[in-house]
Amino acid sequence: MSILRADNITMRFGGLVAVSKFDMTLNEGEIVGLIGPNGAGKTTAFNMITGVYKPTEGSVFFQDDKRDIDITQSRPDEITKLGVARTFQNIRLFKELSVLDNVLIANHLRLKSDVFSAMLTLPNYRKEEKAMYEKSIHLLEEVGLKELMYEKSTSLPYGKQRRLEIARALATNPKVLLLDEPAAGMNPKESLELMDFIADIRERFKLTIFMIEHHMQVVMGICERIFVLDHGITIAQGTPSEIQNNEKVIEAYLGVD
Amino acid sequence: MKKERILLNIGAILGFIILLFIFNKTFDSYQMKILNLCGIYIVLGLSMNLINGFTGLFSLGHAGFMAVGAYTAGLLTMSPAMKEMNFFMKPIIPFLAKVEWPFLPALLMAGVVTAFVGFLIGSPVLKLKDDYLAIATLGFSEIIRVVFVNIQSVTNGALGLKGLPTHTNIWWSWGTAMITIVFMVFLMKSSYGRAFKAIREDEIAAEAMGISLFKHKVMSFTMGAFFAGVGGALLGNLLGTIDPNMFRFVLTFNILLIVVLGGIGSITGTTISAVIVTVAMEVLRVLDETINLGFVQIKGIPGMRMVIFSLLLMIVILFYQQGLLGTNEFSWDWFSKIKGFKKTPKKEVKQ
Repeated sequence: MSILRADNITMRFGGLVAVSKFDMTLNEGEIVGLIGPNGAGKTTAFNMITGVYKPTEGSVFFQDDKRDIDITQSRPDEITKLGVARTFQNIRLFKELSVLDNVLIANHLRLKSDVFSAMLTLPNYRKEEKAMYEKSIHLLEEVGLKELMYEKSTSLPYGKQRRLEIARALATNPKVLLLDEPAAGMNPKESLELMDFIADIRERFKLTIFMIEHHMQVVMGICERIFVLDHGITIAQGTPSEIQNNEKVIEAYLGVD
Repeated sequence: MKKERILLNIGAILGFIILLFIFNKTFDSYQMKILNLCGIYIVLGLSMNLINGFTGLFSLGHAGFMAVGAYTAGLLTMSPAMKEMNFFMKPIIPFLAKVEWPFLPALLMAGVVTAFVGFLIGSPVLKLKDDYLAIATLGFSEIIRVVFVNIQSVTNGALGLKGLPTHTNIWWSWGTAMITIVFMVFLMKSSYGRAFKAIREDEIAAEAMGISLFKHKVMSFTMGAFFAGVGGALLGNLLGTIDPNMFRFVLTFNILLIVVLGGIGSITGTTISAVIVTVAMEVLRVLDETINLGFVQIKGIPGMRMVIFSLLLMIVILFYQQGLLGTNEFSWDWFSKIKGFKKTPKKEVKQ
């Protein structure tokens, strides 16, 4: 069953067409990759899906228990509330705050108490706050950051910051997780660890994952389907082995004489 | 452990109240006025820190909010006879002519009215960021002032209001200051406080984590405006005289100075620096007068204190770029650190 659907979305910045008629369906439980040379429009596609940009044409749908919700015009926070979380290409943690705070903040969107009961720590808020802490600490334990939870988030090593960003996205209770170059800047060993980690969280949190990635080893290793963008146009889609042998893809990556 | 902290906190507050009692008995009226101003500037500094420091919205509209608060409380507390004397150019609108409220409801009303004004201004303006927001809020603050000059039948225009009942004493000013401090501590500890900080740290990430930017920004801005209004009301009823020209940009600048000096995003820092700045402004007055050193006499230069004050400020900012406290807060651990107590191994689980 499909969970997220982009219907021919196009993004124009003035005269520049960043993404043209990107058509994609994510099925529940899949890991799908999005690859392409630099400037191909991968992050723009992500931004359209998560509401950062409003597509100039086309629409995005989120499917949830037989509901089909048009999220084309929704704000990023509304989309996250529905269950689409994301990470960023250049890590965007809340720098001055602790690891634990970073994860706690991602719980805020599910908070029911209003600001006054939160301030007065009324029983209903206290209960929610306690659940929030427990959930966050549990989550940090699962991603292996529990020992570091009082550290400032920027003091973590790079690989762990990536992990924290994923943990933070997971704290919003997503159904779909969008990862923007999770292995960027990692050495081969770290990338392999990350690959296992992503496969692992998919199982445990019952996620559908859509990821942009440059490390071919990672993409080919865990993605079930791959989309290839070049100059905003989808030039190929299919299984990893199909993509590897696709002439257009080879052309886009290596050029042709 | 936790109980111990609560007891310490209550003890400190009680101790401070006793201290206020002693001040109340021993200080002369000039010193009392400075003490009052300290309390009021704590309220104002914290309200600005909530908007600028904790939520990261660069707003410069504080003087406008204070004007709204001061006028609301002033008009509500002034006696009808006094109003008649004040409004000789143009009679006051009948709706306000007869009211005379006690101070507490007037103070709260000042806060509510200002919060409402803050909400009205914030809703369109908070879509802007950084310096654009600063300019827009500054503009609104000036608009409020100019409007107050021109609605003569409500504010008495440029003549201002004279003979406001001087309700403000140290109990009102420091009571409000303490309530504001407690309010801020609880707010920033809650999930909403964390959401504010998240917006300050990274708006895009905060929104991607499901925090509605608009809702939280307006919330912070409105709360800040509430306390700015209360602070303005306290100030008006302390001085007894208000006019629109009191609420120029310089006033906003003074509060911004307190916030920056104390540490943007620190409740403790703002509290300390509000007291330091208010007292220093008065103590340095000596420099404006002729100083007799016995063998040589230095002629006083009016405005010298501001030069020295600015120099001191520059030195502080050069050496402590984050302000005195950065984003740190007071905790009782400070004392155990200073005394080198080893018996309280309050080490968190660290690697």
